[in-house]
Parts: sequence; C-alpha cells; structure tokens
Amino acid sequence: MKESPWPRIGWRNLGRNRKRTALTALGLGVGYFACVFVVGWSEGIMSELVENATSLVTGQIEIHDAEYRPDRSLYDTIGGREGADVEALLRAIDADEAVVAAAPRVYAGGLVSSGEATSAGMFLGVDPEREVALTRFLDSLVEGALPVAGRYELVIGEEMGRQLSVGVGDELVLVGSGADGSMANDLYTVAGIYRTGLVEFDASTVVMPIGDLQEFVVLDPDRIHEIAVATAEPDLAPEAARRLSGVLDVPARPIVVASWVELNPVLAEYVALGESFYWIIIVIVFAVAAFGIANTMLMATFERRREFAVMLALGSTPRAVVGIVLTEALAIGAVSLAGSAAFTFPLMVWLYNAPPSLEWLYGNVTLQGALLTPSLRVGYNVPAWTWASVGLLVTALFSALYPAARAARIPPADTLSGL
Amino acid sequence: MSPITDENNAAVRTAGVWKIFHQEAEEVRAVQDVSLTVERGEFTALAGPSGSGKTTLLNLIGGLTRPTRGQVWVAGREVSEMSNRELAQLRLEQVGFVFQAYNLLPVLTALENAEFPMLLQGVAAAERRARVQELFARTGMEGLEDRRPGKLSGGQQQRLAVVRAVASRPALVLADEPTANLDSHSSEALLDVMAELNWDLGVTFVFATHDARVMERSRRLVRMVDGHIDSDETRA
Repeated sequence: MKESPWPRIGWRNLGRNRKRTALTALGLGVGYFACVFVVGWSEGIMSELVENATSLVTGQIEIHDAEYRPDRSLYDTIGGREGADVEALLRAIDADEAVVAAAPRVYAGGLVSSGEATSAGMFLGVDPEREVALTRFLDSLVEGALPVAGRYELVIGEEMGRQLSVGVGDELVLVGSGADGSMANDLYTVAGIYRTGLVEFDASTVVMPIGDLQEFVVLDPDRIHEIAVATAEPDLAPEAARRLSGVLDVPARPIVVASWVELNPVLAEYVALGESFYWIIIVIVFAVAAFGIANTMLMATFERRREFAVMLALGSTPRAVVGIVLTEALAIGAVSLAGSAAFTFPLMVWLYNAPPSLEWLYGNVTLQGALLTPSLRVGYNVPAWTWASVGLLVTALFSALYPAARAARIPPADTLSGL
Repeated sequence: MSPITDENNAAVRTAGVWKIFHQEAEEVRAVQDVSLTVERGEFTALAGPSGSGKTTLLNLIGGLTRPTRGQVWVAGREVSEMSNRELAQLRLEQVGFVFQAYNLLPVLTALENAEFPMLLQGVAAAERRARVQELFARTGMEGLEDRRPGKLSGGQQQRLAVVRAVASRPALVLADEPTANLDSHSSEALLDVMAELNWDLGVTFVFATHDARVMERSRRLVRMVDGHIDSDETRA
C-alpha cells in the first residue's frame, strides 16, 4: 500500500504553534463540554420530572375499568359491580419481568372537617405495605406513622393539616357518598402527616387503609378503582402495559392498562420535546465553534501558503493539499476530544452521583404536575455523547473545508515568488 | 484530451512563449516570445539581471505557471494545456525543483524532506532510504538525517534541496539561483555535486542564475534581457 506523508505532516503541524493549537482545541473542547453538560442537565431534569411524576404518587402504569377515566365515578370499579379477583390480578402483574411493585387503590371524594374548618378532600384507600413499595410519598412521613386498618386512622398532607389546623392525634370528620346511595360520614384520627411538595395534592388528599375506605363508601372488598404498577424504569412502562393488557383477564367488564405516556401525554410530549432540543443544542454549539475554528484554520493555512506551494510544486495534487489541511483539522479534533472527554466524563459522573444543590438559585418547582427539586443533577445520555463526539470531529473537518480549498488553489509560482 | 507530443523529444522546448502579468493598470511582459530547446543531459544556465525573466521561464517550463501565449514541451509532452492534476503528475514524474530559498518542509526531518517526492511517487521505503543515503554521502550530508531544516546551515539546506530534487530521479532539474545564499566554498561544492549527478545519472539541469561561478561551470549559457533571449552560447 502506498505510504502517505499527510498524517505525519498534519500531526506534526499541531506542535508548530502550540498556543494556537491549544486555543483551537479548547474552542472545540468547550463546545463538546457545553453539549454534553447541557444535554446531561436536561436529561437529569427530564428524568427527575418523569420519576417524580410516576414514582412519587401515581406509578408508571395504571389499570382501571374501561369506563373509569375521565369521570372517575365511584361505581366504575374494576370488574364493575361484580368486582374482580384482586389477588389474582396482583399475582399476574407481579409476574411481569418489568414490574417491581403493584398496589390496589380505591378513590372517593368528600369533605374533611375539623371544628369550624372544612376542606374538600380526595380520599385514597391504599394497602400501606404494597403502597410504600410502589410510591414514595408515604416513605418518610413528616410526623406520625402509617394508619393501621380497622382503627379509623388516616394520614393527611402537611398543607391540609395547616389549613385545618390539625396535627397527629387530632380528629377529623369525613363526609362523602356511599356506593349504595347513602350519606357516608365518620370520625377518624390523624395518624401521620406526609409531604410530597405538590401543594394541591398535599392540601386535598386523605390516605387511609383500603379496607377502611371501602367500608366508608360501602364497596365490597373485591371492588377497587385502580391497580397502580411500578416498573424498574419509566421507559419500560409502555411495553409492560402492552404485555399486561394481554395477560390480565377480567371477564365481567373490559379494563384499560395505560402507561404514564398515555396517562400524562403532556409530560410525555414535554420529554420528547426536550430530547429533540438536544440535537438543536448540539448543532448550535458546534455551529458557533465552527466559525471560530474556521477563522483560526484560515489564518494557519494563510501563514503556510509557501509550504503548500512547495508541496504543489513538488508534485502534490490539490486534492492532497486539501487532505493535509483536513488531516490536521482531524488531528486537532482528536486531541480536543481526548482532552475534553478526560475532563467532562469524571465531572458528569460526579454530578450524577452527588448533584450539588441549587437551592440558593431557586426553590422547588412543579412542572407538568411533577415536582422538580433545585439541583444540578445530570443524566447519562450515551447517544447524545456519541453524537457530540461525532459533532466535534465533523465540526473540525467542516471548519477546515474552506481553508483547505483555499490552500489547494494557491498558485505555486506566484506564491514562491512572493507575489 | 491527450497532450500534444513534441516530435523532437528534447528535455525542454518552448515555442514563442510569452508571459504577461497585469499589476494594477500596468502590463508586465516577463517573458517575450522565447523559443528555446534544451536537449537531454544538458547543463544549461539561464543568466541575466534581476527582472530579466529567468525565474518566470523556469516556472513556465516546470508547469508552475501557464504561458500567456506559446507552447512548452517537457519530456516531449505539451504542458500549456494540461489540467492542474496532469501538471502535478508531470512535475512529480519528470521535474525536480531547487528553489533559491530552499523551501524545505519545516516539520519533516532532512531524511523525510529528501524522501518526500519519492513518497508521493509511491517508491518503496527501502528503495527511498537507499537513494537518499547514497545522495547524502555524495553531498556530505551524512549524520544530518534526523535534523529538521531549522537546525541546518544555509549550505546544508541548499544541498538537501538538491538531494530532494534529484532523489526521485527526474529527467529534468530546474534550479533557481541555487548558490545565491551560499559562500564560494559551499557554492563550488554544490556545483560539483550537481555536475556529478548530471554526468553520472544523465539528469538535465537548467539553472536560473546571475552567479558567475555557475555560468562558468555550465556547458551552455543562455543570456536573457527584458524577457527575451539575448544570446545563446554553447561551450566545448
């Protein structure tokens, strides 16, 4: 194979003006870091949004009676009036490879009173043991303990406690409608107080054992409104939902198995939009870098016009001169990539594992119904990193195209004569 | 279109060649109606004062610039109408250049500079090394193989430029003021080398010079004045 002198010349040329080479490489490296960091931070924000939207309260998949949404009628329980074999359903769900937890739920609406103060409330009946495996909002109560079934205990959100001026040990009156048409009311003791950070949820949701709520609204034990399911990763939910749709059998009435993507389409679109912005960020950052590098490369090739003229005079083709400038640009790109990757990746690992707080900059934010904590948490996005690397090398090559074309068109005689 | 072949098959032939430059509104006739034939194996000097058109004529012969009018043949091939790629190929295969300002590639060592045209030709590494070592020995450049041009004296750089020009075994070497930056001793040594190469390898040399030593050593002296040939003298 014919040996080529161009890689050797291109590589050695990097050392001729080290400051300029370093500045050019730095320009590309900063662009690379900006892409990886901004994409990583966006990824972190999106991951936290999805994670909080799906693991704080709701779960990644919800299973309902087909008629339940959007009206959320008390009567539209899974299996209708006949109910369903909840244990069998839970066993089938738990058997799916992507599922890590599942819990049955009952919902009802009503009023919550304490003394003179009254508030509208949503009553959520849960299996406390299964619920803590599924979601996070009951994991660490601000105060008190989880309610015990049969003891007329419940937990409320911190905001509701503040509005009704009640705390652990205080009594609340719940008023609602029973499934049999009766007026339901009873006295409960506040066993604990939770805080999700979602102010509306914390102000309105009363949580009690599922059996207690079924008794309150006069629903049989096999009548539930929802089974919430957690998957190992939010991304696994749509496929797991499709599988569960085929597996779960409720003869009496059709059911709907929906992932968070269907349940919260606005959030799903927001995440998809964020991901599409990654490419816009990469293109903008490298486009800006390209102009700076093209300018530097143009200056570098102009200073070496005489050398290119000599190469052409000695029999190099114009294409070969283009090749040497591009080789040099690629070499700068490779050096820049190595240097910036050596700096960027350890930083990303650190930010991923120990994200610094940004509380000094902003407080908790609720976005698309999900809580976002103020931190510099980043996510890993290997495809974006790969494309940023490709973008860096392409930018280096692209920036050198015009200078290379200029170098190839140098008139050897005029240049060597100093014209 | 294939280049027209020169029936005479001389090393160089020009026929009614003109080169006119336009500098702002002024027209500069650098070469005017020059017809010249250089046979293979000649050791020819183009002499004349600065601005007489010597360098421009060398550039026309080497295909580094195109004539405004007229024709140029090198090794029997008409170069005036060749594409840039064909010209590059012709220079690579047939022509060696020695420039007044050396024009060595600063990032390459002496050895790599000397090998450069052969590398472009695709000559095998062992063959390249053997040719360069032999020429280094003949030009007193032994031991300087790994030095870069910046670490060589003016004389060493000019000898290296000569080695680079002849190592690829061109039929024709065009040398523009090859002794301009050298002292008399170095000039004589360099001329000895070129004369040996001319004699031993049959390489045709055409010099552009106003150095009396070069004129004395040449076997044919073509004097140029104001872009045209004033005299053409062949010595015994």
